[in-house]
Amino acid sequence: MALPNRIGSTRPRRAIVAVAAWISGILFALPLLWMLSSSFRESGDIFTSQYPFSPFILWPRTFSFDNYLTVLNGPFGLAAFNSIFVTAVSVLVGLLLSSMAAFALAKIPFRGAGVLFVIIVLSFLVPFDAIAVPLANQFRDWGLTNSYAGLIIPGIANGLAVFALRQFFLGIPSELAEAARVDGLSWWGIFWKIYLPLSRPALIGAGFTLFLFQWGAYLWPLLVGTNSSVMLGPIALTTLATAQKVDFGGIFAGAVILSLVPLILLLIFQRHFTASIAATGSKG
Amino acid sequence: MGSTQVITATTNRGAGVMPASRRRPPRLRGSWLAALLFIAPTLVLLFVLRVIPTIEGIISSFQKSVSALAPPSWAGLNNYVALFENGDFLKVLGITGIFIVLIVPFQIVVAIFVALLLNETFRGRGIVRAFIFLPVAAPAAVATVIWGIAFQPQGPINAVLESVGIPGQPFLTSPSQALISIIILMSWIGIGYWTLFLIAGLQDIPGELYEAAALDGAGWWRCFWSVTLPNLRRTLAFVIVADTVSSLIAFVPVAILTRGGPAGSTRLIMFDVYNNTFVLGDVHLGSAEVTVLIAILVTITAIQFRLLGKEK
Amino acid sequence: MRKHLRYIAVAVAAASMIGLAGCSSNGGGDGGKTTLTMLMADPQKNLQPAIDGFEKKYPNIKVNYEYVPFDQYNNLVEQRIGGKDAGVDVFDVDSGTVGTLANKGYLVDLTSDFAKDVKNKSLPAEYEANTFQGKLWSVPMWDSMQYLYYNKDLLAKAGIPEPSQDPSKRLTYQQLSEDAKKAQEAGAKWDLLFDQINRYYQLQAVIESAGGGSGATGKNLLTADIDNKGWVDAMSWYSTLFSDGLAPRGVATEQLPPLFSSGQAAYIISGPWQAATNKADKAAVKYGVAPTPFFEGGKPAMSTGSWNLGLNPASKNQDAAKKLLQYLSLDEEGNSLTAKVLGISPTNKVAFDKFVAGLDSLDGTNTAGMSKLTNEELNTIAVNRPNTPGFTQLADVTGRAFDDIRNGQPVQSTLSSAQKELQGLWDRLK
Repeated sequence: MALPNRIGSTRPRRAIVAVAAWISGILFALPLLWMLSSSFRESGDIFTSQYPFSPFILWPRTFSFDNYLTVLNGPFGLAAFNSIFVTAVSVLVGLLLSSMAAFALAKIPFRGAGVLFVIIVLSFLVPFDAIAVPLANQFRDWGLTNSYAGLIIPGIANGLAVFALRQFFLGIPSELAEAARVDGLSWWGIFWKIYLPLSRPALIGAGFTLFLFQWGAYLWPLLVGTNSSVMLGPIALTTLATAQKVDFGGIFAGAVILSLVPLILLLIFQRHFTASIAATGSKG
Repeated sequence: MGSTQVITATTNRGAGVMPASRRRPPRLRGSWLAALLFIAPTLVLLFVLRVIPTIEGIISSFQKSVSALAPPSWAGLNNYVALFENGDFLKVLGITGIFIVLIVPFQIVVAIFVALLLNETFRGRGIVRAFIFLPVAAPAAVATVIWGIAFQPQGPINAVLESVGIPGQPFLTSPSQALISIIILMSWIGIGYWTLFLIAGLQDIPGELYEAAALDGAGWWRCFWSVTLPNLRRTLAFVIVADTVSSLIAFVPVAILTRGGPAGSTRLIMFDVYNNTFVLGDVHLGSAEVTVLIAILVTITAIQFRLLGKEK
Repeated sequence: MRKHLRYIAVAVAAASMIGLAGCSSNGGGDGGKTTLTMLMADPQKNLQPAIDGFEKKYPNIKVNYEYVPFDQYNNLVEQRIGGKDAGVDVFDVDSGTVGTLANKGYLVDLTSDFAKDVKNKSLPAEYEANTFQGKLWSVPMWDSMQYLYYNKDLLAKAGIPEPSQDPSKRLTYQQLSEDAKKAQEAGAKWDLLFDQINRYYQLQAVIESAGGGSGATGKNLLTADIDNKGWVDAMSWYSTLFSDGLAPRGVATEQLPPLFSSGQAAYIISGPWQAATNKADKAAVKYGVAPTPFFEGGKPAMSTGSWNLGLNPASKNQDAAKKLLQYLSLDEEGNSLTAKVLGISPTNKVAFDKFVAGLDSLDGTNTAGMSKLTNEELNTIAVNRPNTPGFTQLADVTGRAFDDIRNGQPVQSTLSSAQKELQGLWDRLK
């Protein structure tokens, strides 16, 4: 018999659940399915097929790969690589730094832990776009413009990630740490060998937070990375929107490519999201 | 009927692991140095990336620039007075307030519903999760343009509505519908994101709690209120605070689709700041506005923490 | 002890990573060569022929190019030129913004270097377009003009006679609306479009033609006048475009040109670039080019102006930069090359004549007669955007007012509150 938290406790209920879930999923995906189909359209077709109601709203009148060819032949190719590199480094370094900070705030008893936590979260409440300009000026003075470092640094400190990880660490009982202590592990050992391996779902969640911040960054790369060698994906996309003409087909094709990366990552990681934590022995 | 006992995880979950012969080891001694080293990188970055620019911004809000060639001079509270004297800023605050009150509960409720749905087992669950997450994966500016097209008075949404006999709606071209349209667009992006965290939170709830509830004869609804929700508290606290903050700084849809209109009905505070700072070039007025915004953010976050984070 | 060592190692590694990365981007100057940096709102490929030509002429000067997307360009100028960034030498200056930029100290006074040349070598309206308070602050690079494009097939279907190409016989906006309604009744999906339907650049011509002036008056062009009779009349006509369904609400300006090039719109008022869009569209619409309309009872007026070039006061290579300005603006070869990829109008007189001569054959028979028309219009009815120090405010406030009127808000009250808002902003500048 299913546990009481399962909605799908009987056959008809399971069917309803599946249908509801699929309808929700498709509704959510519709606009981007439109974008996908438009990336295969010819330029005259994009804005002339959505009214009145017809199957052409979602299906191109003539199928064409032109947009993808245009986009990959331009600066977008290198830009996509830059985006992947910058984001990957940001996520790895950012996860390390955020989880270290979250661990200390959650598990190492010291005076002022609570206050520090509040300060960290509050500081990151300051909207990035609001301080981007003075920060960019500062980076220029330090010679960090048009460099990978200049693009990466703002992405590796994220209050939301620290917050999320701390919440999770708080939920792991301290006895684990105490037992490890008795076994002679240092704080770093406790962190690295005990807590981190237990935190996969939270790490993935925090990792996605960091990922999305960098992957979708627009204002910052605009301010410090307009040189074509370090230009990032979203900026390269806008080279298709000039004052004279906007190549929507190309933009959609580029956007599809840029969207694929987080999507693939999600498909890979969502299994771990649901990984049971039975192995740890503390929740069994 | 029956007790509404709240079943929560107790702190001696791990007690069963330890052999009875061992006495409870001494509490971990804190180490200031270790803590500092763990936090130092983040702290330093926080200083450089947020604290210093914020202080600069606050100082700038008390200044004015007469010409680009001379350094800024002291202006006291003039910028703040100019802000509040001008009825427009109060209107911006009002619109932003209405926006938050509508969008946050809406997103949270729908996200909980979707998370519950996606926590069930059914065929193709991975794909549906990917679909829900898709909006988060797409570049925000492009997704916004696409919704702009969807909302056109002669666009796909009206095409569908009219084909079933509902008259076409003005959406973004009407002062009464524009804000709701922006809410729909932003929720479409946000819900997928929060759902991820809520699913993780749901997974985290140990099965025994539900077993215990089943023994008590609780049905789904009672289970939801007495087991699921209380144990989601930590995750919910995070999601509600994060949602409020990110909604308060909502910017891209307004900048691209409405520029604050029609008739100022979508002029949210972050767009107003952007307009003042960049388009109109009045950095100091923009700084004053940002300072006010930060004060609002801090206040709201503090209140939410208090209300939600009682179980630290 | 060991754990401390580990922490220190991590810190050192991080620092060196940052240091190395920071170093790699600051390429020092290579011996003898000067490097100039251009900050532009067009992708590099558009200006590449001109850059190549310049580097060939001056082998000791290398040109570095930085592109900023057009809709963020003014913000970036604010941040970098305003931040006294010595890393930019020459940058794009949009027509209309000369006064604002000069007033903020973002431009070098170029009167003694180039005033005479601009007067002699560039198109007539360009000198005025680049001056503010009697001094020359930038040099012209490109120009623009407007035409009335009409779809021959849709007009024939509705029984509408094609508009004459003779400027003395140009249509009024009001007549055009009537014709567009006939096209609508005959089944055209879209009737009368402007390609920049809610921007000051294009609507200024309608308003000036209705006698409303540019909206910026007074000695220093900081007295707003955007709710006078001319403005109200022009905007009242404009709002009927949408209430009559001749032009769509809610469609972004970039999405309008394809509506005409796909053959589904009867009329569009746009620049020479529309011909290029039409040509590239597989629909191969059959169209003609007529003079831009005028307001009934008023005088004809046509939007003009495009990008110009300015010199950053923080630049450390001003002499070399001036050579670049000379080449791109005043040299016939250089100016021609800048306009080559885009097919846009150059401002050097000789280059312009060559450009105009090519217009007739730009898109087969569709563009016949365009050369003669362009010459005459540019010499007689072009209106520049006003070089008020408060131009960004003017464009922003009026832009939002245009949007509101387009969406059905009442004309008079919208213009009145825009007037109040604009004057309030300009008062802070005085």
